[in-house]
Amino acid sequence: MCEVETITKIAKTLGVPAGEVKLNSEKIITRTNNNNTVSGFATILNVLAQESKSEIARNSTATREIAADVYQWIEFAVLYVAPGSKDKHISHQLLRDFNKLFATKSYLVGYFITLADLAIFYAIYNLVKSLSPVEKENYLNLSRWFDHLQQRPEIRQGGQVLNFTTIYLHGWAKGTHV
Amino acid sequence: MATGTLYTYPENFRAYKALIAAQYSGAQVKVAENFVFGETNKSAEFLKKFPSGKVPAFETAEGKYLSESNAIAFYVANEQLRGGKCPLAQAEVLQWLSYADNEIVPASCSWVFPLLGIMPQQKNSTAKQDATAILSVLNNKLLNSTFLVGERITLADIVVFSSLLHLYQYVLEPKVRAEFGNVNRWFVTILNQPQVKAVVKNYTLCETALVFDPKKYAEFIGKTGGASDKKQQAKAKEEKKPKEEKKKEEKPKEELDAAEEALLAEPKSKDPFDAMPKGTFNFDDFKRSYSNEDESVSIPYFWQKFDPENYSIWFGEYKYNDELSKVFMSCNLITGMFQRLDKMRKQAFASVCLFGEDNNSTISGVWVWRGQDLAFTLSPDWQIDYDCYSWKKLDASSEETKKLVQQYFSWTGTDKDGRKFNQGKIFK
Repeated sequence: MCEVETITKIAKTLGVPAGEVKLNSEKIITRTNNNNTVSGFATILNVLAQESKSEIARNSTATREIAADVYQWIEFAVLYVAPGSKDKHISHQLLRDFNKLFATKSYLVGYFITLADLAIFYAIYNLVKSLSPVEKENYLNLSRWFDHLQQRPEIRQGGQVLNFTTIYLHGWAKGTHV
Repeated sequence: MATGTLYTYPENFRAYKALIAAQYSGAQVKVAENFVFGETNKSAEFLKKFPSGKVPAFETAEGKYLSESNAIAFYVANEQLRGGKCPLAQAEVLQWLSYADNEIVPASCSWVFPLLGIMPQQKNSTAKQDATAILSVLNNKLLNSTFLVGERITLADIVVFSSLLHLYQYVLEPKVRAEFGNVNRWFVTILNQPQVKAVVKNYTLCETALVFDPKKYAEFIGKTGGASDKKQQAKAKEEKKPKEEKKKEEKPKEELDAAEEALLAEPKSKDPFDAMPKGTFNFDDFKRSYSNEDESVSIPYFWQKFDPENYSIWFGEYKYNDELSKVFMSCNLITGMFQRLDKMRKQAFASVCLFGEDNNSTISGVWVWRGQDLAFTLSPDWQIDYDCYSWKKLDASSEETKKLVQQYFSWTGTDKDGRKFNQGKIFK
């Protein structure tokens, strides 16, 4: 998912107008709304969060520590995860890392959905979509988190619900669930 | 929106369910002030509203009454917490509510309560295995789902979470809970929701599991028996009349519950004293004499019949006298110990006395039993209280022992620091 599309989706999730989102002459993403132009992925998300009154926006800026943590994940999502998810080797390492992370956490930052979750969610959406059921079996914790987010209509936004039901054989071969 | 008053004692995990649900729904739930557990909920006024006398109990602003924590939580919740519009999700919420009540709470209570000293230690308890099985079920469930029902927090999460609070606080130390990673993740997520934090304050996950401490339970019995103080004192007076005693012994039989009946149904365990020679001293004869005749007759009778070869006399002093406060509580401490030593009665006799007054008292007693060694080690059933006493074997032939026996059997004199005799309890 390209940056423009991600910004538009997150704006919709937060319930704020996306405005005009495009790459400027220097190929940097910019957003113009009410004659106010900001550029840079993380900066735009920050502005969206300030405009929004949604729960997700509130939770993302609850404390300065949380806000800083969220910012860090957003940078990571745009600089590393989004490009990395297109590479065969890096993408699997990414999935492994996230899977390990979600073994002990329900969300990336704090104990509720934040912009960090949204940024990573959209950054790996196509990657997760490309996984076969057997491959998903290797990332059960990540699958749980991903499925949790996609079940929210405001996050899925009419998109296809990815299938996380475990393969039919699971009933006979429980050994795969460790 | 639901508005009303919740009756509960502080930090009641069952009351938490309703309080957390109210945080989510915005229901105005006020906790009743001046609630005293065991008094308020036994008052006629309370029982009129809530016949079961159980807490938490909820009185709505319209003057309707609800008891049972799940029902109250359901009432003060909102649609989202009850499972939303879908009947299947609503049923799933109910499923977890039942699971919490039928599986989690019994296992948690029978594991944790003995460690907290508010329930006696059960032999062959399966609580630990039961709790482990429950946690495995939850662990498998939470591997694939963030919350128990749907993708948002519901009453199912709130109730199961509340039911697990004791386990996570007292016994699930890090290495025990390590194998339930998914439950831990979910538990910590719920614990840190602002709506939950507003209710469950100062909560920390267990660092080292509690271990059983017999002294705690003995103290608890001393304290909670307090309400029936008058009855206890009346009992003390009656104790010298064997006929009355018999009546009392018969009465509790009617109140046996299923568990006790099961225990009774088990083959009777052998009397641990059987291994020792019977000797010539007959406890029953002496007890009869002690109960029916004046001490001026029964004490000489004791010395005339006592068989020092096969029986021994002991002096037991309570180790924690400086912790004793109210006299009635100390008396309950003694009678509680007697009750737990029930099976020793046939082969033992004791007079345990309390000297002094409230906040300045000591407990000590003279014990007689079959055998030459400390009898409490003969059976695990008898080892709950004896640790709290220091034991000294008395030389049956010495004059000092005669004096002590005279003093304790006739309930006279003072303790070694000069506190006056206050009350005595006879174990027979």
